[in-house]
Amino acid sequence: MAQDAQKLKAGAEIYERNCSPCHGARMMDPQGASDLRKFPHDQRERFLNSVTKGKNQMPPWGGLLKPEDVEALWVYVVNAESVYGH
Amino acid sequence: MRRLAAAAASLLAAALAGAQTLDDLKNDGKNTDNILTYGMGYAQQRYSPLAQVNKTTVKRLVPVWNLSLDNNWGEQAQPIVYNGVMYVTNARATVAIDVATGKQIWKQTLDWPADTPRVVCCGVSNKGAAIYNGKVYRTTLDAFVVAYDAKTGKEIWKSKAAEWKDGYSLTVAPLVANGVLITGISGAEYGIRGFIDGWDPETGKQLWRRYTIPARGEKGNETWPKDNNAWEIGGGSAWITGSYDPALDLVYWGIGNPAPWASQSRPGDNLYTSSVLAIRPKTGEIAWHYQFTPNDAYDYDACWELILADLNVGGKPRKVAMQLNRNGFLYVLDRSDGQLISAKAYEKVNWASGVDMKTGRPVETDIAKSIRDMKATEHWPSTRGAKNWEHAAFSPQTGLLYANTLHEGRMYKHLETKPYKAGERYMFIENLPLARAAGEPVGHMEAIDPLTAEKKWRVPLTEFQNWSAMLATGGGLVFTGKETGEFIALDADTGKQLWQFQTGSGINAMPVTFTQGGRQYVTVLSGVGGLYWNIAREQLKDKVPPGGSVWTFALMPD
Repeated sequence: MAQDAQKLKAGAEIYERNCSPCHGARMMDPQGASDLRKFPHDQRERFLNSVTKGKNQMPPWGGLLKPEDVEALWVYVVNAESVYGH
Repeated sequence: MRRLAAAAASLLAAALAGAQTLDDLKNDGKNTDNILTYGMGYAQQRYSPLAQVNKTTVKRLVPVWNLSLDNNWGEQAQPIVYNGVMYVTNARATVAIDVATGKQIWKQTLDWPADTPRVVCCGVSNKGAAIYNGKVYRTTLDAFVVAYDAKTGKEIWKSKAAEWKDGYSLTVAPLVANGVLITGISGAEYGIRGFIDGWDPETGKQLWRRYTIPARGEKGNETWPKDNNAWEIGGGSAWITGSYDPALDLVYWGIGNPAPWASQSRPGDNLYTSSVLAIRPKTGEIAWHYQFTPNDAYDYDACWELILADLNVGGKPRKVAMQLNRNGFLYVLDRSDGQLISAKAYEKVNWASGVDMKTGRPVETDIAKSIRDMKATEHWPSTRGAKNWEHAAFSPQTGLLYANTLHEGRMYKHLETKPYKAGERYMFIENLPLARAAGEPVGHMEAIDPLTAEKKWRVPLTEFQNWSAMLATGGGLVFTGKETGEFIALDADTGKQLWQFQTGSGINAMPVTFTQGGRQYVTVLSGVGGLYWNIAREQLKDKVPPGGSVWTFALMPD
């Protein structure tokens, strides 16, 4: 559990710095890219793959983020609702 | 004698090869067959005296050709036209096109690393080429400057301006002024230290570099904190081409926002961010500067076009530079020395109550204080500005500026800043939309008096903002484009729409007009992209497909 909390915090920081400019602050303003609040929670592999290798206009992040960073982002994305209540 | 004949022959050969001289560049706009500079003339008025297409005839304006650019990243460039050949750029390629037929003469593609867009904040695009002495120049997304042979497209030289992995990128159209090729840089959202470069157009050798943030010991560095290295990672991009006054031999280049956007780590004015620099093109020396937004906490930037004109100010002719700044004020400066002549709000502004004409500084309000205190604050204009990059036009015929402006506030908040990481975002803000009253415009197309900022006319936009440049003509028309693909012509006196054509994608580029064989042509690139696509992609995706192409129009013969 403590490990998950750590991942969530790391994911939130990566999200805030690198992802929020397009996907919106706290995922609340997804005007520039897809609404991650709607990303299916059972498609972890697709998420990790898209972030690492890029998709459509999203560049690949694998050159910057380590696999554990992308994993942390996933933890953040699937848990953001409980964190922010949206 | 033989030597003389040889010299004459080589001169003739140079003329035949189509060597654009400095005089050609200086006189751009006078020979309407050619468009040799960004902004259709060094003054960047985006005005053409051409009047064949006018209020009466525009109803006969029809497409004469369309050429696919095979590009889904977006089209923003201004075409260059020389002796019947059009040169067009995007992030992926440079294309030479036969103006008469619309057929592609040559194409040079570019291949940058797939992850380069990580460090491109505001659209994977390119603003256009420059032309000089038989060569076509452009910048690349991964921060190189390239010269091609104008006839064949063969690469002549390629010089690296900076390392993209550290957050530097290039989309700016180069400027050739007094024989020097000048480029800027992008990347303030990634904590770069901005600069403007001067290159030898023949060889690609760097002649000078003028950092937009002075180093320790240089004048201006005292406006940065002494106890940290904020100045080394302080932003100051320069991603819109400067204008040039050949008589004063000064280039006017707008400088971007400081980094990070959240301002707590960089107290001080932060020169020369959010300023205009007047630069000597031969040396890069700064002749004067004017800062629009000291200690910019709002990403207000000052990159946009500085439009040069001669205005009558209080009965006296003044050589001015004008800017519809993102911060909501319309500035008129004396371009010989940077003296502030006028600064009037042209949109809703709540962060400042006005500009102090004695000090030239904005008078910040409690809204500004609240933002600096890191509170979520309703902020007008938003960080995207009262006008963004979409260039305005100035018609000497009407004395008015024509602009696509934005009407947008946001709930804006500074977050706690974190340590700099090379090549990663360096902003630390939250920027959320405000509730919008039904029918409240998101922007306007408007005609503005430069000195009073009063509106001659104002056309509200209620669905999507316009992110295309304006083009004003002697035919009393203003051309611009919509994100939903319509290329339109307005009556310059009333703003009434007189004509439209639906292109195949969104328009966020720069229309131009020119002649060939006595016939007036109008050209615009279509292809949704750029910053607005970045911030409104989800709203546009079901209505506007990507796909770049060049559209050229002329009057249908009787």
